[in-house]
Amino acid sequence: MNTPIETAADFHPRTITRPERVLLQYYIVTSALTIVLFPFVFLPQYVKYRTLRYRFDDEGISMAWGLLWRKEINLTYRRIQDIHLTRNLIERWMGLSTVSVQTASGSSGAEMSIVGITRSGELRDWLYTKMRGARGLETPAPAPAEHQESPPHSPDDEALVLLREIRDELRQLAQDQGAAQ
Amino acid sequence: MKTPVDHASQWIYKGVWAVLVGLFNVPKQPPSHLSDSAATLQTFHPAHGFLRLLRLQFWLILTFIDGLLLAAWVIVFFKVSHTLAYLISPVVLFVMVAPDIVAYVAIYLRYDTTWYVLSDRSMRLRRGVWIIREATITFENVQNVSIRQGPIQRIFGISNLVVETAGGGGERRAHGHHHAQPASMHAGLIEGIDNPAELRELIMQRVRASKSAGLGDEHHLPQNVLAGSTGWMPAHLEVLREIRHLVVALRGIN
Repeated sequence: MNTPIETAADFHPRTITRPERVLLQYYIVTSALTIVLFPFVFLPQYVKYRTLRYRFDDEGISMAWGLLWRKEINLTYRRIQDIHLTRNLIERWMGLSTVSVQTASGSSGAEMSIVGITRSGELRDWLYTKMRGARGLETPAPAPAEHQESPPHSPDDEALVLLREIRDELRQLAQDQGAAQ
Repeated sequence: MKTPVDHASQWIYKGVWAVLVGLFNVPKQPPSHLSDSAATLQTFHPAHGFLRLLRLQFWLILTFIDGLLLAAWVIVFFKVSHTLAYLISPVVLFVMVAPDIVAYVAIYLRYDTTWYVLSDRSMRLRRGVWIIREATITFENVQNVSIRQGPIQRIFGISNLVVETAGGGGERRAHGHHHAQPASMHAGLIEGIDNPAELRELIMQRVRASKSAGLGDEHHLPQNVLAGSTGWMPAHLEVLREIRHLVVALRGIN
């Protein structure tokens, strides 16, 4: 049931820790387009590029950057609401794109924008497979049937334990009474 | 029947596409999407009525703006001077015609670059030529689906379907804005389709089937409810029978 959805075999997001170098080039080009403002636009972007760290683990993503003003975002895959992949013209020329991940928070903007990944289409698909609903209802469908078929000896069934205790007490009582007579 | 004009415009359009694909990396293929089986995957553009609506809008705006320009030129011709009118006429003509061609091509580009891909679990929506946006939303996370249709859209038999996921965000763009962007990033807009009810049913079926709130909660809940409600299993009954038997025996003793 869960097998058919698969992303590229040689794509391992867990190994991603840094944005790729092409992101710096992208920042240079876009800041250069502002001509006079270049130093003011480029400096924060350069800092972001140098300090940006990703961590894709079993449960979720964390992303941190900043030198003077540090910022860190953590989210779990299961709470992803929707994924947006955005590519403008310059990003397309450089093989980049922005993967924006949304959770159910109040803001209308993206909670996390993953930049500087060239294989972003694959990253998007990989995140999609981790998202809720992508593989259907994972646990409950087979579970209830199992419960009804093979219930008797689940040790943590409190009602059953209680009933057995009552039975044993009664049995003891019956034996005692029988012996007394 | 195809006129030479049709052929020429088709040829130009193909050329525009070749430039977009070759130089500007605009993908010609629909977006790929992961699915359990390729059979359930449906890929489509907006309905044809959407294109006709865009064309009608185009002609109305064109008539209005070109009418204004022509009126201005006529005023210059009669009230100012003939020579000036003749001098500016190439400019006026250019301003009247050139943007129209661009806008007309843009309509077709907008239509041809808008893709909707639906699997039985999720959808992927792509739009845009310069900035290409692709949204991926699983139906399980959908909070509500709304269908919106204006009077002119009704004439053309099309509607917009808006699929919203949890999370707020104010409406950044006004309703019925020309570009009709989704209100926030928490919404997916399926614009200009002619079978909204069918799609709504597909999505709502999925939403109803989901027991969770669509906020990333795990699926433990149904199991717990089950264990609580159907409490008496054969093992319980067996022990209860034994208890009854013992009680009867005890009464007999006394």
